[in-house]
Amino acid sequence: MANAGRRIVYLVIFLAVLLPLVGGIRLPAAPLKAATESFHLVEKLQKKKGRIALVAMDYGPSNYAENGPQAEVVIEHLMRRRIPFVVMTQISQGEGFLEAVPESVASRLMREDPSQRWTYGEDWANIGFRTGLALFIQALAKSNNIATYISKDARGNDLSKLPLMEGVSTISDIDLLIQLTGYIGTFDTYVQFFRRNGVAPTFIHGCTSITIPEAYIYRDSGQLKGILEGVSGAAWYSELLEKTYPKREEDSSRAINTALGISQLAIVLLIFLGNFPIIVRAISRRIR
Amino acid sequence: MWELASVLIGGICTLAIFSFLIKENAVYRSFEHLFIGIAAGFAPVFTIKNFLWPNILAPLLGFGVEYFPDGTVLTPYNSSYLLYIFPLSFGLLYYTIYSKQFGWLAKLVIGLSLGFSAGLGIKGFFAEMVPQIRSSLKPLIVFSAEGISWTSSLSNIVFVGAMTLVFLYFLSTVKNDSLQKGSSSKAARWVMMICFGAFFGSTVMARMALLVERVQFMSGPWFQAVKGLIAGGV
Repeated sequence: MANAGRRIVYLVIFLAVLLPLVGGIRLPAAPLKAATESFHLVEKLQKKKGRIALVAMDYGPSNYAENGPQAEVVIEHLMRRRIPFVVMTQISQGEGFLEAVPESVASRLMREDPSQRWTYGEDWANIGFRTGLALFIQALAKSNNIATYISKDARGNDLSKLPLMEGVSTISDIDLLIQLTGYIGTFDTYVQFFRRNGVAPTFIHGCTSITIPEAYIYRDSGQLKGILEGVSGAAWYSELLEKTYPKREEDSSRAINTALGISQLAIVLLIFLGNFPIIVRAISRRIR
Repeated sequence: MWELASVLIGGICTLAIFSFLIKENAVYRSFEHLFIGIAAGFAPVFTIKNFLWPNILAPLLGFGVEYFPDGTVLTPYNSSYLLYIFPLSFGLLYYTIYSKQFGWLAKLVIGLSLGFSAGLGIKGFFAEMVPQIRSSLKPLIVFSAEGISWTSSLSNIVFVGAMTLVFLYFLSTVKNDSLQKGSSSKAARWVMMICFGAFFGSTVMARMALLVERVQFMSGPWFQAVKGLIAGGV
């Protein structure tokens, strides 16, 4: 095994990923405390006039695998709870997701319950790709009228004329900030600048697996109130949604999480098999 | 039709990039360049489309002026937009960097940007780090309603112990062999190795998640699209 070609390793990993996806295997997601906290934060939110949530989908195709399922579950939860929300991104390649994700979640929910409607402008708005990073975030936080500052949404409408923005003026009208990214620099800017007079909205962060250890530092310090830990966080959030809304259609997070778990087991097995002959050789040399 | 085309192209691009797993080849390289080009082109296009044009150029050039059918003005031109010319012109000085004679003008823009970034950075550092430093000062014995919370206490002891060891390891202003080469140094190295292991494990997990998403795409929508195309049912 130690001398086996790397292509065999690739093949084993590929099969470990493919088989659960094609075979429809779905393993239950592991309970995650930080994701549970995130779920309860959204669950406790109440719909009030002039109050919104902000969902910053700061990811592009390269982070879509992990941040995509997170966006699906949190947007679904906000829609089910009828909490109006605004989506935006600071990543130019992520602009397409701002339209696609809420639309697809809304149509899935309307399929589930045809008597309910979710409409653009009332339930959500898309303010599109925003440049300026820290400068934009700081200006948004300091703005006395968010709708006037942003001016137009991504569809070219006057933001102030959208029903969900009625009564929304400053950052203090944002009850919840959900930021999904794999880029620490983008995440940092919200921690640093998305506040006004020391007041900041409750902050949930959806991170990729690479940034999980770093995100925990912010949770420990209280700067984050909830975390979605990569696909695993999204899968556990999805299970919590299923428990709360039993009629719910399955999303992609559990399938991805199952394949991820099995592929990780395959990696552990390969590490063991790769090291086994070396350990045996070392022991036999010592005995001799 | 466009959706089908995008799925098919997406699959072809994925296969081209994955062909690197067999060996470095011309198809992989050409698609790699294609991706870099697209990624580089995206940002300026979106900046112009979503920011420069609607927020700066359109109001400045009077494209926001609206008229009634009889020709009378509904939304008049706001002359305060002319003020945009000053920061816009100042920013454009950056391009003098290509001129030997006027290159010094670019330094003004760079200097302002640097000063601005440094100011923001300092503000951001304190906003970010102060709560973290404060939360690092944990009690070693945690009391709960039932008495001592042993799990929380143990967690805090491990946290404070690890933090102290790593601090001592990087204490390079004092020459102290027992600190830098002794058992505390070894313990700090162990702590850091465990930490790096956790980081590496999560990095592998993130990379695997990317692979899973691609395999899901290839075995799902792309496979169906190709099957439909071959069967002629598109």
